[in-house]
Amino acid sequence: MDFLAPVINGFGVVLEPMNLLYCLIGVVIGMLIGVLPGLGPAATIAILLPLTYGVEPVTAIIMLSGIFYGAQYGGTITSVLLRLPGEASSVVTVFDGYALARQGRAGTALGIAAIGSFFGGTVAIIGLTLLAPIVAGFALSFGPPEYTVLAMLGILLVATVSNGSKLKSIIAASLGLLLATVGRDTFTGEARFTFDNLSLADGLDFVPIAMGIFGLGEILYNLEERHNKVQAPAKVANVWPSRKDLKESSGAIGRGSVLGFFLGILPGGGATIASLAAYAMEKKRAKNPERFGRGAVEGVAAPESANNAAATSSFIPLLTLGIPANATMAIIFGALLIQGVTPGPQLVQNDPELFWGVVNSMYIGNILLLIMSIPLVGVFVKILRVRAAILAPITVLITLIGVYTINNSIFDIWLVIVFGLLGYLMKKFGFEPGPLVLAFVLGALLEENLRRSLLVFGGDAAGFVSRPISGILLLVFLIVMLLPLLQKAFKKAFKKARTPAPAVEAHHDEKERV
Amino acid sequence: MIKSAFTRRSILATGSGLALALALTACGGNVASTGSTADASKFPAGPVTLTIGADPGGSTDLIGRALAENASGPLGAPIPVVNKPGANGALATKEVGSSKPDGQTLVILNASLFAITPLAVSEGEKVKIEDYEVITGISQDDYVLVSNTSSGMETMDDLTKAGKKFNFATTGVGTGSQLAQALLFKQAKIDGTDVPFDGGSPAMTALLGNQVDLATIQLAEAMPQIKAGKLNPIVVFSKDRNQYLPDTPTAVEAGYDVPVSQFRAVAAPKGTPEAVLTKLRESFKKAFESDAYKAFNKQNLFTAAEIDGDQVAKDWSANAAKYKELTVKYDVDLGGGK
Repeated sequence: MDFLAPVINGFGVVLEPMNLLYCLIGVVIGMLIGVLPGLGPAATIAILLPLTYGVEPVTAIIMLSGIFYGAQYGGTITSVLLRLPGEASSVVTVFDGYALARQGRAGTALGIAAIGSFFGGTVAIIGLTLLAPIVAGFALSFGPPEYTVLAMLGILLVATVSNGSKLKSIIAASLGLLLATVGRDTFTGEARFTFDNLSLADGLDFVPIAMGIFGLGEILYNLEERHNKVQAPAKVANVWPSRKDLKESSGAIGRGSVLGFFLGILPGGGATIASLAAYAMEKKRAKNPERFGRGAVEGVAAPESANNAAATSSFIPLLTLGIPANATMAIIFGALLIQGVTPGPQLVQNDPELFWGVVNSMYIGNILLLIMSIPLVGVFVKILRVRAAILAPITVLITLIGVYTINNSIFDIWLVIVFGLLGYLMKKFGFEPGPLVLAFVLGALLEENLRRSLLVFGGDAAGFVSRPISGILLLVFLIVMLLPLLQKAFKKAFKKARTPAPAVEAHHDEKERV
Repeated sequence: MIKSAFTRRSILATGSGLALALALTACGGNVASTGSTADASKFPAGPVTLTIGADPGGSTDLIGRALAENASGPLGAPIPVVNKPGANGALATKEVGSSKPDGQTLVILNASLFAITPLAVSEGEKVKIEDYEVITGISQDDYVLVSNTSSGMETMDDLTKAGKKFNFATTGVGTGSQLAQALLFKQAKIDGTDVPFDGGSPAMTALLGNQVDLATIQLAEAMPQIKAGKLNPIVVFSKDRNQYLPDTPTAVEAGYDVPVSQFRAVAAPKGTPEAVLTKLRESFKKAFESDAYKAFNKQNLFTAAEIDGDQVAKDWSANAAKYKELTVKYDVDLGGGK
């Protein structure tokens, strides 16, 4: 009971009217900036920071964290409706979310995403409440070698998640890896592919690439398509997910939430890999994996639960260890300092009211978000009823303004246009944009950590195998890579032994078990 | 929130109104004087933009915002902050350097960009302090060499006597963190491998998880962990002891010629009229004197270094020359054997 007393006190803190109000303000702002492409939670929090100077520390942090997880909810909306993923962790949501929207099932996708997000967030908060001190060490035991293998695993999964031809996926992914090398070398300061342009010195940014390849590319492609044949605006058949949809996605939501919680603890890249792995897992488990990418509800449910769970669990390193896991956490770290609170290992003991107040506010915030999103789904899907001739230019305009606001840079606008053209050409020739964008994000993670690991090991690659976590991850990597080959070999052997007819049966069995 | 925002705004309005009134009376006295005064009387013509070459939320950004907030009252004009991250700040710095020299566009400068980064990066990314009118120095942000407490390494002696090879984390190529450690270990004849991370927080995380043996990070980042007993401060790299860590010796005291700190200053493009600079200088001085700004420095563990602009330019050039000389003398290559 000793353990629960501060938790319950924390609820007392949250339920003060002032804190509830700030929680509401936070999640509303968060949701709105999530919908706007470009402006992310980190920048918003930095800009709104002065507004919190005058209030209690706990109230301030409740609002700022509300902005952060509220933005995760909002980001889904553009991914599904307009094919504009605002963050790397929502790229995979686009695959099935947008496909569902085109089939007139945008409401289903958004509804499932909201429920999955709520569930993922809540699972992660419960995890945060009960397990935070235990799992915090997880973040520390992940060094450069572990990240290296995790990134390798991620890149391997990229091949699994795409639908088109394998060769085209590999070409797209290779291009993504190549794009990740642009910019100043992190280890030598050497300029790579920057063409003496200072705007390229820090490399390419995720947002302009994703906005261009996914969003603008799709708009350009649709313009051409409509020119050739008359196309009715997408119907909006149902707004609510049916009971069947819920049943189909419940397992995906559960698995995605747990995966997201654990990977979200890892600073840097955790959320992206979580959403990717959750999607890949559902596709592997599915009886008909070919449904994925063509509008499978699990394909929205799994990554959305995972990235929300990851967003919540990224508070664990900050609140229990004093380590900010991403840019937004770094700003909340700064906000705590300004409030005279030292974020660090002693926070739970020194400021239990703040710790539990903030943690418990997330339960309330998630409920508020769910209550808000369900009716808003009905409003947002109406966007799709707008004629493309009106919707397309507005989307382009908002995208370009949104991208400009990130770095206040005209250069980024040009990037969107260039990648928009690339996205259009890719779609025209049957290349999927997903592998490119995901490989781009993971490529940087892989290169940096591989080189860092080798520095730490003094050049001896055996270190990857001898460290327990990286060793196990490496084993998983090998299994994921070799399993399909083994299965193929096995099937061939089987085919030879038996007559063709039962072999087909066995084939199906095999798939189900996998 | 609404209430506090209103009070803030009304204070600001009163403040700027007052400043405007003062400025008007001051001008009334010398209408028929020199051209430069006429320029100054028109200044500020609208908002004065303060450009920051870093992402929102970092130290440079926090300092810029705190300064903007406290200086806009005395200046009598709003000072909006614009973040233009890229190339360690070189992008924003160069852009402001080539903008109109009328005092309406300012930039926060980082000393490392002028004195340390050029040792590691390509020609096109280098910037020179001579191309700016430095208005005033702002503050000093110190680097501290830390070890994980579980390693038992507490002093420089422990390190030199350990007789082993150390992996040390830096906050990136061409940073003060890298330069300070590389010079220190070379001088102390400690065998070390430079492991660059992308900023202070990943470097600290790696040290806390014992992925590396040592790290040099900014004091504000390390302090919570030092207080919690997770990290040992070994030396600070400032010239004098840091006020927030009075018991930790400096590297210079320990007998090594490694004075490295991060200094920041605010500057205008070259050719900005002297009268405009004076006006800006006075406004920033008033900001430095405000209680809110002093409290900000204390909370973020910055040491005030509100040095005269000309002196800043001299100091930074001298530092650039000194670092170059030291890297040559001790055969340190920040570009990792490029």
